[in-house]
Amino acid sequence: MKKIIILTPLIILFIISAFLIIYLLSDKNPNQPPSALLNKDVPNFESKSLYDENKIIKIENIKNKKILINFFASWCAPCKIEHPLLFEIKERYPDLYILGFNHKDKASDGINYLKKDGDPYNFVGVDSDGLIALEFGVFGLPETFLINENGKIIYKILGPITKDILKNEIEPLL
Amino acid sequence: MLFCLISKSYANENIDERVKKLTLELRCMTCQNQSIYDSDAEFSNNIKKIIRDKFEKGENETDIKKFLVQRYGEYILFRPLINYNNSFLWVFPFILLVFGLFFIVIKSRKNKA
Repeated sequence: MKKIIILTPLIILFIISAFLIIYLLSDKNPNQPPSALLNKDVPNFESKSLYDENKIIKIENIKNKKILINFFASWCAPCKIEHPLLFEIKERYPDLYILGFNHKDKASDGINYLKKDGDPYNFVGVDSDGLIALEFGVFGLPETFLINENGKIIYKILGPITKDILKNEIEPLL
Repeated sequence: MLFCLISKSYANENIDERVKKLTLELRCMTCQNQSIYDSDAEFSNNIKKIIRDKFEKGENETDIKKFLVQRYGEYILFRPLINYNNSFLWVFPFILLVFGLFFIVIKSRKNKA
């Protein structure tokens, strides 16, 4: 009996530790590290258009709208996988502003890619030096952010959008 | 002239050392458990360049870490920050130690008796 009393704190500690570890590791995917920007204001940016460097986009120009920001490049193979789905999103949600950032790409390559595969974006900004991506904490392509009407980042996906992700994770937020 | 060259090379060496020290503490987000210093991934090379630029501009290690954590989250740090959110993480080993010592003391007393 005395032995059980002595061991009780250790048993309780073990149970608490086990629950804590289970809680900390639940829903953790090493391929999807948590985004530091989730539920925070969208970073300020200013970017020239891929097609016309006299056209400039700033975050102020598109406030009060739901915005899907997609970082892509012509050299990015997974970007090609999700590309048709961006057209699907555009067709189903015409009020959604889809902003693409051509990341670390030659402008001519970016333009050719969008000519060949089509352009689903309302605006395509240039991020040739990667500084806009840095502000968004982007570390792999493609990366997509959903911004609400209040200018908060409400969703982020690292890697290509799939039909399942679109149906289960993005659409409920649109 | 020679003095300038020597001091510039000393400054570069100093920055190299600081970049190395800091990047060893940072996780490459696109690699499997590798530090930014040890990684040659594009992401790591970009971060090394950013850190070097910031050191050259006179920013300190704390500012640079804060800059990176704001964008990439605490996940980029191998060593979690000491703050309220991580308090349990830092205190837990000490709790374990206290329980362990308590257990050893009780056990040894019992053995003596």
